[in-house]
Amino acid sequence: MPSSAQDLALTLPHYLVVSGMIFGIGIAVALSKRNAIAVLMGIELMLNAVNLAFLAFSRFGSSFGIASEGNPAAPLAGHVFVVFILTVAAAEAAVALAMAVLVYRRRETVDLDRINLMRW
Amino acid sequence: MGGAVVLNRLPLPAQLDRTVTTGGLLAGAIVTPPLIALIVLRVLGNISSAQMVWWMLAGVIVAGALGAVTLRNVVHSALALIAAAMGLAGMFLLLASEFLALVQVLVYGGGVAILLMFGLMLTNATEDPVVIDGSQKPFAAGVGLILGVALTAAMLSANWDASISTVVDFRDLGARLYRDFGVPFEVASLVLLVALVGAVAISRRDNDDDNDAEAAS
Repeated sequence: MPSSAQDLALTLPHYLVVSGMIFGIGIAVALSKRNAIAVLMGIELMLNAVNLAFLAFSRFGSSFGIASEGNPAAPLAGHVFVVFILTVAAAEAAVALAMAVLVYRRRETVDLDRINLMRW
Repeated sequence: MGGAVVLNRLPLPAQLDRTVTTGGLLAGAIVTPPLIALIVLRVLGNISSAQMVWWMLAGVIVAGALGAVTLRNVVHSALALIAAAMGLAGMFLLLASEFLALVQVLVYGGGVAILLMFGLMLTNATEDPVVIDGSQKPFAAGVGLILGVALTAAMLSANWDASISTVVDFRDLGARLYRDFGVPFEVASLVLLVALVGAVAISRRDNDDDNDAEAAS
């Protein structure tokens, strides 16, 4: 069945579906793993999903009332947010891994079920 | 298992041991049919080239993310995560933002990959028990499934009136970042500096602390 040009274009939901799936998988990783570093990997996956959603809205978002005639660069707000999220993600990864190494040095494990010093 | 027998008799180089060859053939067997299907659909005109690339990238991303969940070896799981991040870089390219695709490759393919590998190496992840999934795994799978399905359904059912797409000029992004977001940019640089110095400070081997810990134990 030949499709029209409108059907063949990539639209906003294409990217948002991938973003939603990655976010769900990321939260499953973060909740199910026992290794602290694997939990960190799940958080990175969720941040990536958010980045994709930001970029998709930034590209297709000119009809959301963000852009105007006098401010043509306004849609780039999504890109700027992605830059900041990447910065924070890198900082978070560095600090979290340093903490994991420190915990391992003290307690000989990064198993989150066995790091229960503050358990009630 | 006939394939394994054939592989044993092949005059393969020593580096290509059986595991690598079998894994590669398996991956090729899994990947090839969807690729052929996509190319056939493209030739028939049912999908556009951009959609073909989107399907490939979505497959890489979702497969990498699922690998991060399901693989039992945490090093393999980290490699699957890097594959998903690289697929996302490709999707950024599809969204016509080359700069952020480059940054994604640099930060995730370079920085985070090395950090994760160093973290796994320094914490001896391979010596820990093979079971890396906690007893809360069914609950986690349920939460992930519900959240993923809810997000996807909401995004599909919403009426996005967004047919206008804008392509980003590299120069505009720089102007926007430094002109309109100058103060947050400086704050972000400070956050990065503090985080890196803090990471070095807390992971530095402190002799006094070590002596205390040894005396206490």
